Amino acid sequence: MPLLEVDRLSVAVQSDGLLQPVVREISFTLERGATLGIVGESGCGKSLTSLAIMGLLAGTPVRITGGHIRFDGRDLLALEARERRRLMGAAMAMIFQEPMTSLNPVYRVGDQIIEAIEQHRRCSRRESRERARELLQQVRIPDPAGKLDFYPHQLSGGMRQRVMIAIALASDPALLIADEPTTALDVTVQAQILDLLLELQRDHGMAILLISHDLGVIAETCNRVAVMYRGQIVERASSVALFAMPRHPYTLGLMRSVPNPDVDPDSNLVRDARNEPGRLDAIPGRVPAIDERVDGCAFHPRCSMAEPVCRRDDPAVHDRNGHESRCHFADTLS
Amino acid sequence: MSAATLGSRMGGQLVAPFRLFRGRPVALAGFLWLLFVAALAVLGAVITPFDPLEIDPVNRLLEPASPHWFGTDHFGRDTLSRVVVGARMALIIGLGTVVVALTLGTLIGVLSAWFTSLGHVLMRIVDVLMAFPALLLALVLMTLLERSVLNTIIVIGIVYTTTTARILYGMSLKLKNEVFVDAAICSGASTASLLFRHVLPNLASPLLVQASFIFAFAQLQAAALDFLGLGLPPEIPSWGNMLAESRTYITRASWLLLFPGAAIILTVFSMNLVGDALRDRIDPRFRDDIAGV
Repeated sequence: MPLLEVDRLSVAVQSDGLLQPVVREISFTLERGATLGIVGESGCGKSLTSLAIMGLLAGTPVRITGGHIRFDGRDLLALEARERRRLMGAAMAMIFQEPMTSLNPVYRVGDQIIEAIEQHRRCSRRESRERARELLQQVRIPDPAGKLDFYPHQLSGGMRQRVMIAIALASDPALLIADEPTTALDVTVQAQILDLLLELQRDHGMAILLISHDLGVIAETCNRVAVMYRGQIVERASSVALFAMPRHPYTLGLMRSVPNPDVDPDSNLVRDARNEPGRLDAIPGRVPAIDERVDGCAFHPRCSMAEPVCRRDDPAVHDRNGHESRCHFADTLS
Repeated sequence: MSAATLGSRMGGQLVAPFRLFRGRPVALAGFLWLLFVAALAVLGAVITPFDPLEIDPVNRLLEPASPHWFGTDHFGRDTLSRVVVGARMALIIGLGTVVVALTLGTLIGVLSAWFTSLGHVLMRIVDVLMAFPALLLALVLMTLLERSVLNTIIVIGIVYTTTTARILYGMSLKLKNEVFVDAAICSGASTASLLFRHVLPNLASPLLVQASFIFAFAQLQAAALDFLGLGLPPEIPSWGNMLAESRTYITRASWLLLFPGAAIILTVFSMNLVGDALRDRIDPRFRDDIAGV
């Protein structure tokens, strides 16, 4: 049984009494101890998916309109709010994009870690403080005992993200959702945080759901990748297969829009004649607004390979050895 | 971000008062005046030269001179003693109003922001109350109640609950969307712990500023109610009551208006200056914006 199973999940935004779908019947699974990356542009629904899993949509105009989210075999959407909250933090934890704002500015970081510890375990103040120190040490914060008394504004962005990770680890979760965990950080710090996450994953055996718009981050960390476009998963594969041989033009476009100084001229990535050496490709157009109607394949208005059939029919999922693609020409691409 | 700034500024500092007034001599003078009023309020009748309630018809309407430095009123009571004793009432009304307005206002504002449908109801009621001019609202409420210290505090408190609720509603809505609140939910925090541990402490500094302005406005409001005969019972020597009683003698005994009037003005002005200094200190971005009330 997979640890996390998202089954035909649909999410919609309520605006002016209408429900505009933003996530359309996406399905994926995450095994214990594995890492799944979800990649896509802003507005493709990747963050909403993670918020839906964590149950953070309450009080927003966003509604789950269909599907199931099973965690350890239990349907999260059928759970009562209180039971679900108990599960959160205990079995699943989340870290956010903005380490600047995800800590409460009025408390010392030690108190915030201790709060998370005591949320799930009865122990004396002394024990939880000691545990908090251990956690800071695990996330490689120098002088952990001293840092417990720091306020968030006294720490750098990277340090704050480490503190967030420490809070997430407080309950030894089976699943960690990381929503753009390194986007707001310097590149050098980014690599350190990713290394730290992987290392902690090895030590604790937790599964990670990593949400990012950065293919590089995904390539470095994930076993499996799902590429999202306009609320759909358009391609899903192991990261080795996906990066070696993308089977969807959108994935290909994303890869081409990453600067790569030492591209192999014969590789798939630069076979297109328009892609002169030293030139960076961008995907033309923009993501259609959520209330815009697109017939056929959601990507066809921006796709250089679009044929009449793409305008007409929504492509089915083409699966080849577990490498799925939602493109009419998936098989000709690779 | 704003909550972060507000909060982190709160963290290390409920600043030593004198640092707060660096480069603001007028505000410092205001602060000293408030300390003086507070001292009068505490000492009260102990330091007055005469019994503030003692009637002495022979010496009625005396001009300011020794031994009655502030003169006497139409009953021959010593004005200086009455002004000194009035300080206690001023302080009680001010602090009482602050407590009532901030408690109710915070409760309404925060709960409305957190529970949307409750908010729709509560904030519409607040809107309706805000449609009345403050004094009119206080007058209407006061006519329904007996004249007493407690009722005066409650009524003025309700008047300023509305503005407090509105301000805190906005700030709580903003806090509700802060990532650290989501993060706390993720770590399994209950709603009560969210509100008490994560929201309220972040509202501490705006509440402090709000308190200073409410204190000042409460003085004016109370004086106005007293003057109209709807505030404190007439036998209590408050500054407002002194104004009300002396208005018939204004041409013969102007000092009867002068001293309590000056006490009110100085106290309100001082509190506003201190409030300004506090606000600038806590959040410099408000410097030229709204006054908060």
